[in-house]
Amino acid sequence: MGRQPKSDADKVHDRIAVLRADRGVSRKELADAVGVHPQTIGYVERGEYSPSLALALRIARFFGLPVEAVFSLDPLPSISQEILRRTS
Amino acid sequence: MSISPDRTYLARTFDDGRYAWARHPRVRRRAVIAEAALLVALVAATLAAASTDEGWTTWFFVTWTAGMVAFIPLHSVLNLGIRGVLDRDSRSLDEHQRRLGEQSHSAMGWPSAALGFAAFTGAVAVLALTEHVALALCLGFLLWFAGGLLTYWHLAWTSPEEPADIDL
Repeated sequence: MGRQPKSDADKVHDRIAVLRADRGVSRKELADAVGVHPQTIGYVERGEYSPSLALALRIARFFGLPVEAVFSLDPLPSISQEILRRTS
Repeated sequence: MSISPDRTYLARTFDDGRYAWARHPRVRRRAVIAEAALLVALVAATLAAASTDEGWTTWFFVTWTAGMVAFIPLHSVLNLGIRGVLDRDSRSLDEHQRRLGEQSHSAMGWPSAALGFAAFTGAVAVLALTEHVALALCLGFLLWFAGGLLTYWHLAWTSPEEPADIDL
């Protein structure tokens, strides 16, 4: 089972909101697909809840991405920064 | 096999959008304060009645009944505010909701046990000092009841504010 992060250093960072916007997926659709309440997706996106490994894997599988592309222990760079880095 | 939490009738009721107002932290905390104040008032009324020679009187019966009736809508609001996480079948909860419930249960374990002990000793003390059996039972019940409500109060007070706009 997941847990609430105790500090900023304990937080699990994610790209769920960006990926949802990119794919046009609502919180409810993602929540239904991965078997949680829509609010839980919101808590994960806000960094207030660190998901269980099973939930993280299900979310990554939903987006068809490796889990490390969706979740990270370090702050994730923004997509625009990534694109700039790759094109420069 | 589905991985989604069961959509029981109870779960659908607690998740109903019409009750979103009750899930706001300010409403939840006010419900906690109101319930706690109600129980304190009933304990005070019980002790006041026990200090008289008559003991169980009409005014005490009316106060007790009014307090218990008032508790029903108050607890309904509080329970709607926490989506009934502590009352629903665990199969209808997701991992985050189960976690919140477990945290409140473990945080309030010792205080609940202490109130259970206070219920027993309080009832025995009232009986020994006043010989009002009914009032001793009332006091014991109120303290035991408060012990059971601590978990609800903790969850309603500490639950994080819910993310808005679930369809974003």
